[in-house]
Amino acid sequence: MTLKSIFEPDSIAVVGASASPGKWGNSIVKNLLDSGFKGEVYPVNPREQEILGRTCYSSVLDIPGPVDLAVIAVPISLVFEVTDECGKKGIKGIIMITAGFSETGDEGRQLEKRLIEIIERYGMRLIGPNTLGVVNSKIGMNASIISRLPNPGGISFITQSGTLGLALADWTMEMGLGLNIVVSTGNKANIDDVDLLEYLDEDSNTNVIAMYVEGVNRGREFMNVAKRISKPILAVKAGRTESGSKAVFSHTGSLAGSDEVYSAAFKQAGIIRVENIDDLFDSALALSVQPAPRGKRVGIISNGGGASIIASDACERMGLDIPELQLETRERIKELVSGFASARNPVDTAGLAGYDVYNGIVRQMLLDPNIDAMIVIYVHTVMWDASISARAIVDIHRGTCSKPIIACWMGGAGTEKGVNILKEGGLPNYPVPERAVKALASLVKHHGFLENVKERV
Amino acid sequence: MEEVIWERLRDANIPVLPMIRASTAAKAVDAANVLGYPVVMKILSPDISHKSDVGGVVLSLGSDGEVEAAYHTMMERVISMVSNARIKGVVLQKMAQPGLEVIVGAKRDPQFGHVIMFGLGGIFVEICRDVSFRVTPVDREMARQMILEIKGSPILGGARGRTAVDMEKIIDVITGLSLLLDKYPEILELDINPLVVYPDGAYAVDARMLSH
Repeated sequence: MTLKSIFEPDSIAVVGASASPGKWGNSIVKNLLDSGFKGEVYPVNPREQEILGRTCYSSVLDIPGPVDLAVIAVPISLVFEVTDECGKKGIKGIIMITAGFSETGDEGRQLEKRLIEIIERYGMRLIGPNTLGVVNSKIGMNASIISRLPNPGGISFITQSGTLGLALADWTMEMGLGLNIVVSTGNKANIDDVDLLEYLDEDSNTNVIAMYVEGVNRGREFMNVAKRISKPILAVKAGRTESGSKAVFSHTGSLAGSDEVYSAAFKQAGIIRVENIDDLFDSALALSVQPAPRGKRVGIISNGGGASIIASDACERMGLDIPELQLETRERIKELVSGFASARNPVDTAGLAGYDVYNGIVRQMLLDPNIDAMIVIYVHTVMWDASISARAIVDIHRGTCSKPIIACWMGGAGTEKGVNILKEGGLPNYPVPERAVKALASLVKHHGFLENVKERV
Repeated sequence: MEEVIWERLRDANIPVLPMIRASTAAKAVDAANVLGYPVVMKILSPDISHKSDVGGVVLSLGSDGEVEAAYHTMMERVISMVSNARIKGVVLQKMAQPGLEVIVGAKRDPQFGHVIMFGLGGIFVEICRDVSFRVTPVDREMARQMILEIKGSPILGGARGRTAVDMEKIIDVITGLSLLLDKYPEILELDINPLVVYPDGAYAVDARMLSH
């Protein structure tokens, strides 16, 4: 069944809404009202008349109009009654914020089973329980306890850790990352990763799927769905250091810990596994704004020798090649820079970072058939204006460039203007070369998956 | 169990060394003569999975006298170390020619089902953990990638003046194992360790299996 009632509702009831600031039942109503959601928001709480200027209903059954989605944040003892009422009301989607279910042990597992029976009886779909909610920035819906809505963008994020979702909004704003849907999966008692991947694949506003995974429930289905999705899927799998089973029956048994198995499964399903959250969003950013390169041959330019050597080393470590430029390209570059500069890849402009130098060289390198992708590094010095070199690259990028460009404006203070120009121009920028290279490596990996793993539809 | 796994491997077209079981010292000597010396003797018991830990494996037996003596010594040692084990006799195997030892194994993961592991045998798997994994089914191309993926893969290709080993045979074993796992979902763990690989051919020399 469709998950539209959850991600694209026209009307939302907040069951367990509260008039007291600081309570979750209050934050959710406030977040929905503040985020610019155009549909109806109905607070529900039998003890309140009005919450944040909205009429409060004592039960969802009292709400006059139809309701698509209910966000439930009541004490666990009331969960079953209010969920049943949602079913009676004809509500199709539930976001269950309330915790205390299978995550707490056997007793909680029984409660979760009871909850799912109600959900299934009415043919509803449920996120959670024990979730922090759902955000859809495209329609301005913040049905979560995340206090700030992230900037709209093409990256959708599925997180099994609620707190990670909370930290996210601020983080992404700092990085200039645009998010589309954020979903905290909670216990995945009804809607799990398989359902979410299917939904996000069809969602035209999502172009990159980022996941924080602790474990998936239906391994084979998960792999099959991921294989059919051509949008990049990135995942951090928590518990990387977990070792295999303790009992030593066989070598395979002791070596095939869940982590190794996840690595294999992700690779076979065309999911880019990254080490940590930083890498997840660094890569997601590049994948959301840049095309996948045709190959792994990288051109590097820098106005300072050291940075391009670091970038070259990082490329080598990540399995990317730094090829020779064609003779013709080298000659054209020599015409553009002083005799001291190296016209070999990585190209060193020997300190020059003017518009014509950066624009001209990068243009020539992109035209070179030996090059599949560019890393453009600018090391800030007081002699240059970081925004001029940034403009030089963005102007190329605005042209018809099908090869990805990754930027690395180094030097912190003084580069902000340049960094903003890059951001607005759709160029992913990173403050150090290693991060730029890692992000590019994810682009290369995705292209490899498209060629070898993904099923063509 | 010992018997079942060899049968399963043979069914999956995984080459195994010829072996004969024997329940007395005299029958062991006969078996050794049929196989041809030198031979290996292994204890046959459904209760002992780590045979060498209890003195249940003797290598390089070269004569009738050695086989007879080994049989008696093995029975005494094993019974003294694991008194309650059911002993069904011994298995005699032709001693494998030295070759490159690799391990091909499988495990059933609770989330993803069967996975296959490949690695170089001995210290490479135990200390370096230089292994690769794939979720089944594994086809020939995936098997080839698994083999090339381990750090030690140049050794298979004949690094440092060694002769290259029969890579296609390893691929046969991996894909054969994949089909076998498909047929027997109840298998929880399985190790072919070592699979001894030669420039031309390979043999499963020892194997262990744990089923539901």
